[in-house]
Amino acid sequence: MMQSATLPANVSEIAAELTAIVGVKNRIVDPAELRTYECDGLAGVRVRPLAVVLPETTHQVAACVRIARRHGMPIVPRGAGTGLSGGALPVAGCLLVVLSRMNRILAVDLENRRIRLQPGVINLDVTRAIAPQGYYYAPDPSSQSVCSIGGNIAENSGGAHCLKYGFTVNHVVAATVVLADGDIVEIGSAAVDPLGYDLIAAVVGSEGMVGIVTEAVVRILRVPETTRTFFATFPSTDEAGACVSAIVAAGIVPAAVEMMDTLAIEAIVKATGVDWPLDVGAALLLDVDGTLAEVEHTAGAAVSIARQAGAIEVRMPKNDAERALMWKGRKSAFAAMGRISPNYYVQDGVIPRSEISTVLREIAAVTAREGLRVANVFHAGDGNLHPLVLYDARVPGEEHRAETVAGEILRICIRYGGSITGEHGVGVDKAVYMGELFGDADLETMNFVRCTFDPQRIFNPNKVFPTPRLCGDVPGSYAPHAVETSGAAGRG
Amino acid sequence: MTADLRDVRAGGSAVRGTPAKSILAPADIAEASAVLTEAAARGEAVAFVGGGTELGFGYPPTRVDRLVKTERLTRVVEYAPADLVVEVEGGLTLAALQKHLAPHGQRLALDTPHPEIATLGGLIATGAFGPRRVRYGTLRDLIVGVSLVRADGARVRGGGKVVKNVAGFDLPKLAVGSLGSLGLIATATFRLHPLPEAAQALRVAGCDGAALAAFSRELIARKLEPAAFLAHRTAAAAYDAYVLFEGFAAGVEDQAARFEALAAALASSAERVASATLPSNVDEEARTHGDVRLRLAVAPADIALMERDALGPLARALAETRTIVYPTLGIAFVSGYCNGTEAIASAVAEARRSVEARAGNLVVLDIRDPALAKRVDPFGTLPSSFFLMRRLKERFDPSGRLNPGRFLGGL
Repeated sequence: MMQSATLPANVSEIAAELTAIVGVKNRIVDPAELRTYECDGLAGVRVRPLAVVLPETTHQVAACVRIARRHGMPIVPRGAGTGLSGGALPVAGCLLVVLSRMNRILAVDLENRRIRLQPGVINLDVTRAIAPQGYYYAPDPSSQSVCSIGGNIAENSGGAHCLKYGFTVNHVVAATVVLADGDIVEIGSAAVDPLGYDLIAAVVGSEGMVGIVTEAVVRILRVPETTRTFFATFPSTDEAGACVSAIVAAGIVPAAVEMMDTLAIEAIVKATGVDWPLDVGAALLLDVDGTLAEVEHTAGAAVSIARQAGAIEVRMPKNDAERALMWKGRKSAFAAMGRISPNYYVQDGVIPRSEISTVLREIAAVTAREGLRVANVFHAGDGNLHPLVLYDARVPGEEHRAETVAGEILRICIRYGGSITGEHGVGVDKAVYMGELFGDADLETMNFVRCTFDPQRIFNPNKVFPTPRLCGDVPGSYAPHAVETSGAAGRG
Repeated sequence: MTADLRDVRAGGSAVRGTPAKSILAPADIAEASAVLTEAAARGEAVAFVGGGTELGFGYPPTRVDRLVKTERLTRVVEYAPADLVVEVEGGLTLAALQKHLAPHGQRLALDTPHPEIATLGGLIATGAFGPRRVRYGTLRDLIVGVSLVRADGARVRGGGKVVKNVAGFDLPKLAVGSLGSLGLIATATFRLHPLPEAAQALRVAGCDGAALAAFSRELIARKLEPAAFLAHRTAAAAYDAYVLFEGFAAGVEDQAARFEALAAALASSAERVASATLPSNVDEEARTHGDVRLRLAVAPADIALMERDALGPLARALAETRTIVYPTLGIAFVSGYCNGTEAIASAVAEARRSVEARAGNLVVLDIRDPALAKRVDPFGTLPSSFFLMRRLKERFDPSGRLNPGRFLGGL
């Protein structure tokens, strides 16, 4: 779908004001150039922003926020634009604030295991900067070579290894945030246990609705002494699911447990050339890490559990290069879907781990009913599914059926006591399902948090919440934007 | 001694000198919700109490019309061993929960003092943690879902019962450390950990601040993964450092041997201690001791400076002191008896100035002496983000009736 905003007459005035702050090279208003920013990783929905800025300092961000505010423009923050739920999707008439040029690592503090950085730093570059000293940054979304820390903070990004090490929210200790009035606030503490409410928890995962993070301090971890990886194939996802449960029941906390089904394996093999067998029903990729003696025990135990659970084959990489290749296969899974389907729709539902086999069967049944195929590649250890509903947009009706299936999958997850999103965020994509997962009073309470930071709902309106929500006693005066009164866009 | 919250625990009716007009113990969450709805209609102030072990934390409430005790909210709502997740009501004690989980070989990886008395709701509200924080983090890292009874009586929930979930704002983490100022913690859902197959504690006697810093550095440099590392002392003497390794037997033995080598390399010696409770019992004894209890935090690298400028002077000012330090985390607890208001007040002020200068803080967990309590602010300097906290409180509790005055800044 494509929305077009009626450009207000004062667009050149806005452009001039923005230019005065960020310079002409960091300001975009030309409609053709703006197209680059019409969507994020949720490529099916496009909205052209009114203007884009690429600020280089916190003060520039604050000044741009004030300009937008003065002109009644909503603001959408954007990192690398890899998000899969439309969190960085522009809203009509908005100022899109792109943080990719604020990409410097500001201070590495190995002694306190902290690193201070700007939001545009690429996730993997954090680890690259400290790997020579034997440290790493734990959250590892599959897009880690292109996604940025600011986006990770907005979405509370996870990744394969958050099973053991936690999500972005467990690793951010302090942040500098530009608020809706252009004020700059420091939250959290580079030391430990800041006083008062946990504002870090309010900002991490806020999906761009509370402000713009322009600096953050994150924890870094010592690289474990040993990591053992193994890849095991199974006749079906039933045995693979039972294997995961048995490993957990044996008291082992793996660093990561990833599952891939036949279709996912096929796509990965075609795209990356890894020599994985195509005639299996499922595969697990599993990491255990820790001290050498501990890992020798747990890896050995996990391998024998896999065999008992009916593994067809268990492979162990001979060296780091082989291990890296296995993980590259897994992390390229989404991109690999192009090899087996023109289009796909990815979901991110979560279910209790013990229900994996049952839920996968239900998903398969729903997909078959609509005459479509589904590939599964997901974080089995924490029950975070990524069903990829395959379709061909050129075939009339398929896209719609894929959307129907994707929605049904989320309802299945809710029915099993799970969640509609484990790491991709709600954004615009899943906002409609929030009302099925949470009650009205729950959503109202969450809105308290948003309104605490942004009472006039300037930042990322119309995301996350299923229906427009006001903030009650809005202080100060607020003039609705022309596109709002015309009905082309609302605020949420 | 002032009429304090222990009074409530013993059946009394005052909260740190503020009399409670009525005391209620709702039988279930629906009843608790009705209590809050009624209080809202009447404009009454409500305070909550679980085990009452940390009621000395924060300011005394300015008004308590209804004191809601959670002692009957003790159900295990749902326990899914295969998913390592449990949902409990807020009034369940930590020990009762652990007893429920142990037959399945699982536990909540939290080892706070007074587990027989302290409730999960209270532990969340006070942001409590114990020595195993080194390995497992705080309740912030273990909580995955919460349901609150709001100031208006509405029961709301956030998070869920799966460990990975980014749908909506993170109400569970906001509840951690909120001191009953946002709502009653009705239920909470936690991720669990397997009980370890083996554990080994080791003790190193005679450590000073520099030695603690050196042990911290070496533990990290050598990639050891202790479940806990803490130091304990009485008076202003040298510290005994304790390290705890947990896991599978082979791994624990290996780490214990490597720690012995580490100690030898630091010209010290580590002695294995055969105990199922170390170092949590040492931690509990010290942290619950005395009539003055303080908690300090700095960046871990500043631990030796904190010892020199804050912990040492505090240990000398208080009588019969105990000090606990978590060196790798930069956290310390100092407890003891008040034997002179003036000297202690100025030692606390000096210690606070020193840790705040290093981006740290000093909070009062309890001061029973009224004269001393008047001289020492419970929290110290407000963070620059306090205005956001005030706004958050106003959104959740617009008429300021939940534990009024108790939280940071008198919220």
